[in-house]
Parts: sequence; C-alpha cells; structure tokens
Amino acid sequence: MESSDEAAVEKCRVHLRPGTLRDAARATLHLLPCEVLVNGPAPVERFFTPAIRQGTDGLEVSFRGRRLRGEEVVVPPGLEGYVMVMEEKGEVVGKDFSEGSSNLREEPELAAPPEALERDFDRFIGATASFSRFTLWGLETIPGPDAKVRGALTWPGLAAAIHAQVPED
Amino acid sequence: MDCGNGARARQHVFLLPEYLKDASKKMKSGLMFVKLVNPCSGEGTIYLFNMCLQQLFEIKIFKEKHHSWFINQSVQSGGLLHFATPMDPLFLLLHYLRKADKEGKFQPLEQVVVDDMFPNCILLLKLPDLEKLLRHVTEEKEIDKKKYYKYSKEKTIKWLEIKVHQTVSALKTNNVNVGARVQATAFFSGDQVSIDKEEDYIRYAHGLISDYIPKELSDDLSKYLKLPEPSASLPNPPSKKVKLSDEPVEAKEDYTKFNRKDWKTEKKNSKMTAAQKALAKVDKSGMKSIDSFFATKNKKKIGKI
Repeated sequence: MESSDEAAVEKCRVHLRPGTLRDAARATLHLLPCEVLVNGPAPVERFFTPAIRQGTDGLEVSFRGRRLRGEEVVVPPGLEGYVMVMEEKGEVVGKDFSEGSSNLREEPELAAPPEALERDFDRFIGATASFSRFTLWGLETIPGPDAKVRGALTWPGLAAAIHAQVPED
Repeated sequence: MDCGNGARARQHVFLLPEYLKDASKKMKSGLMFVKLVNPCSGEGTIYLFNMCLQQLFEIKIFKEKHHSWFINQSVQSGGLLHFATPMDPLFLLLHYLRKADKEGKFQPLEQVVVDDMFPNCILLLKLPDLEKLLRHVTEEKEIDKKKYYKYSKEKTIKWLEIKVHQTVSALKTNNVNVGARVQATAFFSGDQVSIDKEEDYIRYAHGLISDYIPKELSDDLSKYLKLPEPSASLPNPPSKKVKLSDEPVEAKEDYTKFNRKDWKTEKKNSKMTAAQKALAKVDKSGMKSIDSFFATKNKKKIGKI
C-alpha cells in the first residue's frame, strides 16, 4: 500500500462543507445487532418500521426472523448527530481541476490566506442528514446500560476534561 | 479515501459538537479532516481542524462486532459511530518538541513542527495562543523578538500531573467505574477507603492520558505520580476484612467479561486469594486506555474518511 496514491492521502485534506451542517434534514437511525454486508438503499419503511411494537419494557421488532429488542438512545448534550458522505472527485464546481494535480508539489503556506486552505487535490465531505437520537437494538434482549455504545457515549464528557487547558501558574 | 466511483457512497455516522452548526453560519470553509501523527503511537490518525474558530478535534470511532446502521431508507454496514471531541494541541506539539530536543538546542517553532510524512502538521502553527500553551512544556528564549523553544521534561511532567487531576475530577463527576477495588472497599468504612479510591482514579486517569503521550513519557509520569508498577502486585496478606470483599468482586465479573483482556488474565489469576484478585484487577483497570471506550483500535478505519 506504499503507492504514490497513499502518499497523496497523507497530504490531502477533506473539507467539511459548513453549510451542509445547517441544512441537513432529520434522519431516522437504527443500530442493528448484526452485520449487513452491503451498503445501499433498503426499504426500511416497508419492512422494518411498520413491524416495530412497543412492548412492556421497550421496543420489539423482528429482522430476518430474529426477535430484536430495542430502546431509544439520545445523543449526549452538546453534540449533534450527522450522516456524512464524501463527494466524488471533481464534483466541485467553479474550480479548475486538472488530472494528476495530486502530484503537484506542496507549497509552503505559512503566510497563506485562509482561502488557500483548499488545494486542488483535496476532497470534500458534506452532511446529508442529522439526528439527535437513534434506536439501539439488541438480539432477544434490550442492550441496556452495559451496552458498549453507551460507554462510548460517556467519552465526550471525559475528553473535555483531558483536553481542557491547564491554567497558567 | 476510497469512496468508490460506481460503488454506493459510504455513509459516515458522526457526533459533532453542536456549536459547529452555529459557527458554520459565519464560515465558508475551514472545517477539514487531515491526517496527522498520533502522539502516542506515531502513526497517522485523522483529526478535524476548525480554522475559523481555530480548534483541533480528535476523531474516535466506536466499532463493535456485528453491527449495521439503518439510515432512513438505506443500510450501512459496520455500524461505526464517529466522535469528534476537542483536543489539546499541546499533545501533538509535544511530539515534535520531543523529537527536536534530540538536537538539544533552542529552536523556532516552525523548525520544530516539520514532518515529511504528515505535511499538514503546519496547520498546528495556525492555532491561537501557541506561545501561552508552549510555556507549559518548554523553556523559551527571545532573541531579536523571535521566540526559540526547548522541550522541558520537568515542566511537561508537571503539566501532565495537572491533566491527570483534571481527568480524575471528570471521572468522578461522570461516575466512571474505575475498578473492582472501589466496589470492594465500598463495603468498609474509614480513611483507607477514600485513599484507595483516590489512587484508583489517578491510575485510571494516568491510563487515559497515556494514550496521548509516548510510552517513555507515560512511564516517567507514572513514577512521578508514585504509581506502583502494574506487574508488581502488592503482597498484601489476605485479612478477614478483605475476604468480605469476595462477593462484590465475583459480582463484578459479569461486567468485566466485556473486556476480553481482563477476562483472560482473571482466569490466569484464579488461584489467587480474593485480596490478590482484587488487587490484580485494580492494576489492570488502572491501565485503562481510551480504546476501552471504543472497542477497537481505530486507526485503520479512520483512514477511510
């Protein structure tokens, strides 16, 4: 994997389009307890959503004949959920793209203005949807407080302390 | 970076700080993901820069086996959840300062932060208040109004110590379970309890901070904090008191089984007394790294952004 392509990746920047963070429509997300090996469209609204029932202690549904139990998980305060998709190369309009531009030698840009943050070989990513909660599903049982993903959701609170500036003495 | 021409576009599920949304009104660009050196491992890791607010964020990925997303009317395999959380740039600067220190002289910052592998490191020089930050970990000299810096281990250790204490406070307010010993000792009263607890917190916090500094510095910090060597279990004779802890210690196993490392070593230790068991567990929980929040090392998947 030590190709010149890989080297370009090291230098490349992936710009997140700020506008897409504002305009992103709300999405419905489910985290399933199984690996579906494909990425692509799926008629979730036709098969999955209508089968969700409110049980005595949580949500119930079945997927591929297996019983799933689930619960709503709220995104921690101070955070916002986004679904992001990388734009195809060259999708950007109004920029002069030439093939092989990624081989351009990088100029030192210490004194460069902010606009120069974008370079020809850079990529772009944008938010396609946003969310503030998702449904966490477990096989047969509700994932509960011990679910790994819940542990991960406590991370932002800890990270804030680890990375808080140390006061000057 | 492979985002498949032809193949269905990969969807990345992210949690970002809320204020980026508001800040985005004012900015046309300046939010970007770049690959920089990981100050702990030395390998490439993706970070998020906000050049507008001049902030650095690290990206952590939650990944557990057998998960997928349904996102509206689509399916996304992997079930990854990305977190972008603010990062103290000093950890990254420290990597370069320590490297430059091998030359043993005062140098201007732009001579220190250079990297053929990760040329985007020059973005670090654009962050605000660098001079103030650097005072925590360097000696500085000013010649002709130009600043020259030299890494100071003494100052760095002191700075890291404050970081550890900051983290201990957060562990307490977030009610993070720092080890079996906390639970076991909670059954006794007296000063001994609080002392033990505090040590567990410090050890745990030391483990978290160690994910941002090289091993060598982590060891120095451990010595400075007077943390016992993880392998050297204290030869505490099992007393009646400690035997009382048998029950809660056993109950704890249910919880720790999610951490395979803990589970394995525990089995190895099955011939130990309850007290030794409790101690052994404390040692390991103290070595807690950030990965324990995210199930797997993230560097591989991160490259896909």
